[in-house]
Amino acid sequence: MQSSSHRWWWYGVYVAVLVAFGATLYMASKRIEYSWRWERIPQYLVSDEGTELKAPYDGFVSVADDGKSLTLKELKGGRHETISGFDDLLVGDGDLVFQNDPVARKRGLVAGPLTLGLWMTLKLSAVALVFAMLLGLVAGLGRVSRNPAAYALATSYVELIRGTPLLVQIFIFYFFFGTVLKLSAFTAGVAALAVFTGAYIAEIMRAGIEAIPRGQMEAARSLGMSVPQAMRHVVLPQAFKKTLPPLAGQFINLIKDSSLVSVMALTDLTKAGREVVASTFSPFEVWFTVAVMYLLLTGTLSVLVRRLEKRLAHD
Amino acid sequence: MTEPVSAVAPEVLIDVRDVGKTFANGVVGLKNVSLQVRRGEVVCIIGPSGSGKSTLLRTLNALETITCGEIHVLGQSVHASKADLNRLRTHVGMVFQSFNLFPHKTVLQNLMLAPRVVAGVGEPEARRRAEQLLAKVGLADKAAAHPGQLSGGQQQRVAIARALAMQPDIMLFDEPTSALDPEKVNEVLDVMQVLAREGMTMCVVTHEMGFARAVAHRVVFMEAGEIVYQDAPQRFFDAPDNERLRGFLGQVLK
Repeated sequence: MQSSSHRWWWYGVYVAVLVAFGATLYMASKRIEYSWRWERIPQYLVSDEGTELKAPYDGFVSVADDGKSLTLKELKGGRHETISGFDDLLVGDGDLVFQNDPVARKRGLVAGPLTLGLWMTLKLSAVALVFAMLLGLVAGLGRVSRNPAAYALATSYVELIRGTPLLVQIFIFYFFFGTVLKLSAFTAGVAALAVFTGAYIAEIMRAGIEAIPRGQMEAARSLGMSVPQAMRHVVLPQAFKKTLPPLAGQFINLIKDSSLVSVMALTDLTKAGREVVASTFSPFEVWFTVAVMYLLLTGTLSVLVRRLEKRLAHD
Repeated sequence: MTEPVSAVAPEVLIDVRDVGKTFANGVVGLKNVSLQVRRGEVVCIIGPSGSGKSTLLRTLNALETITCGEIHVLGQSVHASKADLNRLRTHVGMVFQSFNLFPHKTVLQNLMLAPRVVAGVGEPEARRRAEQLLAKVGLADKAAAHPGQLSGGQQQRVAIARALAMQPDIMLFDEPTSALDPEKVNEVLDVMQVLAREGMTMCVVTHEMGFARAVAHRVVFMEAGEIVYQDAPQRFFDAPDNERLRGFLGQVLK
């Protein structure tokens, strides 16, 4: 068929453009004589260093005859502790060790700094998302409220947040609110992201609520429902379905925006990337890797949302 | 809220006195309207579009505000600032031109929602009532369907059943058949006729002259926000004592 062969031709064009783009990047990096060291990256994702077992207090080591366990006798005091279940011994019989010295190692795979950073990013975004939804819902209801105070408060919040850069808000949350309220870096980061994203979700909610025909509210009220009851049982469930696609976009933005909290003492994926660059001197590989890891998070999220959307569409 | 209704017989469920309404844009919606509806009475309101029929109906359960005058429904002042509208509305069912069923709920859930949420009826009782009402409007087999899967006529019958689920004393119909395909009109009118025969107090804004003639106890003609003429259906249609109504009937019955 003609149309199908046309389509294959255009797929060819797509691949050709991608290849040309990749080749250009490769040539460009050749020109600056950058030596790619991709082999260094995997150890920062998953490392086989295993976990070190550390001495709980200062003391002398005595190793069992079979070398499979060791006993630590406290230097000043009578404590004895036997450590076993390790693979490599890092100390010798009769050695003096101090608290937190590694005495043995358990082999096995552990998460590297980039994976830990990814986990932190995920945790940060997930917690921020919950609070952003709550904030957004409340502010969104304020935006459609006929109560002047609720409307003015919600509008000021939305305008204030949307009118200032996220990075500045993060600094304010970290340095001002963080100091005044003695927040941890994690709490400050979650708060900044939740407050920022909440303002955008509020506008999405407002649009979603306004998209529900007025007759729905009238029908609910004519049956004797109060406004909150009608909102909860009639309007919001329908609005939620309508707002799912823009909400998903906002969630994905949240994950990406979370990279900005790396300016605080919080080792998220971006901060981890910076640290790995510092120790490997391989910025290109690291940042490409970090980008792919973000893409994995956001891509998974869009697939999940699309599935939820399909399921809701059946109802 | 429960102030006694003075100067009217107790069986008057709807008492509209000298009501006027001007919309925010200055358009006059209602002018000096007075209307009484007794228990068990079926009143049809007809008139050209824009004559204020729907506006009048919607002021009866305060979906629309009024500028002046007074409305008492079931002995309660509807537009007093301290009126408990939510409670009053549970006694006044309303059926809309565009059905306004809840599309995210099944037919059965549409019928059960308000009794459960507003009246606090238990699940089994609400379900029993809903199934009974669905059978009454001939849609027992559609309980599990979503409104989007039903025809317009079926949707409007569900909407009537939904309003009846609150066991109202009064039913308001706002052009219930105007959005329907012509062949679906009768199935809705039949349900309404059954209701009327059972003694339900009904206010019906409609363009269905045949229904008004056959079912109404009284027909009201509105034009330009005013009640121009009202009478029993036979005189109303056959020998109206009003020039403007004769002109209107000449137009629509031509």
